[in-house]
Amino acid sequence: MGNISWWKWLGVALIIYTFTAGMLVPLQHGIVEVTPRSARTGEQVTVELTGYNCNYDQQSESLKAWLKLDEEKTLGASSIEVLGPRRLAIGFDLPAYLPVDRRVQDFSLILESKEDGTAILPTALLVTQDSIDPEKGIALWVNTAVNDLTVSTGMTFPFRPIIYETIRNTYFHVALWLSMMLLFIAAVVYSVRYVRNPMPKWDSKARAFTSVGLFFGILGLVTGMVWAKYTWGQAWSNDVKQITTAIALLVYLAYFILRSAFEDPEQRGRISAVYNIFAFALLIPLIYVIPRMVDSLHPGAGGNPAFGSEDLDSTMRMIFYPAIIGWALIGAWIANLQYRMDAVREEWIERLD
Amino acid sequence: MKRIILLSLLLGSMFSQPLLAQSATPDFMRSMGKMYVVVAVIVVVFIGIVIFLTYLDNRLTRLENQIHDNDQKQ
Repeated sequence: MGNISWWKWLGVALIIYTFTAGMLVPLQHGIVEVTPRSARTGEQVTVELTGYNCNYDQQSESLKAWLKLDEEKTLGASSIEVLGPRRLAIGFDLPAYLPVDRRVQDFSLILESKEDGTAILPTALLVTQDSIDPEKGIALWVNTAVNDLTVSTGMTFPFRPIIYETIRNTYFHVALWLSMMLLFIAAVVYSVRYVRNPMPKWDSKARAFTSVGLFFGILGLVTGMVWAKYTWGQAWSNDVKQITTAIALLVYLAYFILRSAFEDPEQRGRISAVYNIFAFALLIPLIYVIPRMVDSLHPGAGGNPAFGSEDLDSTMRMIFYPAIIGWALIGAWIANLQYRMDAVREEWIERLD
Repeated sequence: MKRIILLSLLLGSMFSQPLLAQSATPDFMRSMGKMYVVVAVIVVVFIGIVIFLTYLDNRLTRLENQIHDNDQKQ
């Protein structure tokens, strides 16, 4: 197609793939909520459950449910009544004692469905006991082994409480952010080349990649705020990740203000190249080190990597990695337009002289 | 500059739409498993790209005018 390089088409193809697969693949079967959330030992409790991506009324025979403490201590449901396609009433005969030496213990709820796959709700039910006797409790709680769990086949995304469908933002917010890193790395490479060999084209390329990187960074911050509004509760909660990101973006914004302060292209090129290297050196601790050292709402806080096996399964990786490359290539295309424009101006000025 | 103000007014009116809808039905953004949050994020990314293209367009126009004016002088 004319003069358009292959890598630009590759970027477009990857983004189309990201949108198509990212939006079409369904979420796994999950539990949205249960009521009540607390009970006492020795009573019969009926938990009303609302599911997601499920069809309970078409498979009432095969449904199974457990309250689970750990691999050994579980309690099977005494009755399961289908209230609707997405609603169940699950009865549990809670024994008189808990298998722990604490008054209150939380249990996960496991719901097994042959058709939709297994759903788990952590901390589903808080059970309170009046008198403590762990030995009796252990004998009472080892009653049903959790087995024959159905693993959902086919392509699905994990179901996470609170996150729900917004897990798809991984391909837009998170992938955009990582491609911003790639663009800033490209910019820093060109800045280093300018410091070693001050040719105007290296400065122009560094400027172009930094501007697209900053643009992706602002998009990352704004999309993060939209996402945060509906998962953390408010768009801006002064979270450490939000603050350090804003500082990093301001540092990069200052790069452009610095550039506009110089008339002489050589002076501008040299100083802004050095500043760009400094800005990149600041970016790494600001967005990768500090948020991990303190508490944050953002995944990746408290020392764990941002994407553990919990957050990204193999299906998501199949879309996530192409998405990063796709967004980076689109960003490189925009940068490409900018430095070609600079080159035209350069050539024109040379011809005038 | 005028165009930027117009564009931001337009975007502002676009964003107030879902906000109004939200107050009418309190859980519009949270309905369908919060699917509309994904839609909002994609819309933000697209609007961002359009704004960036507008900025590039303006820079290119300025360069074109510079070259054009200079040719006329000669």
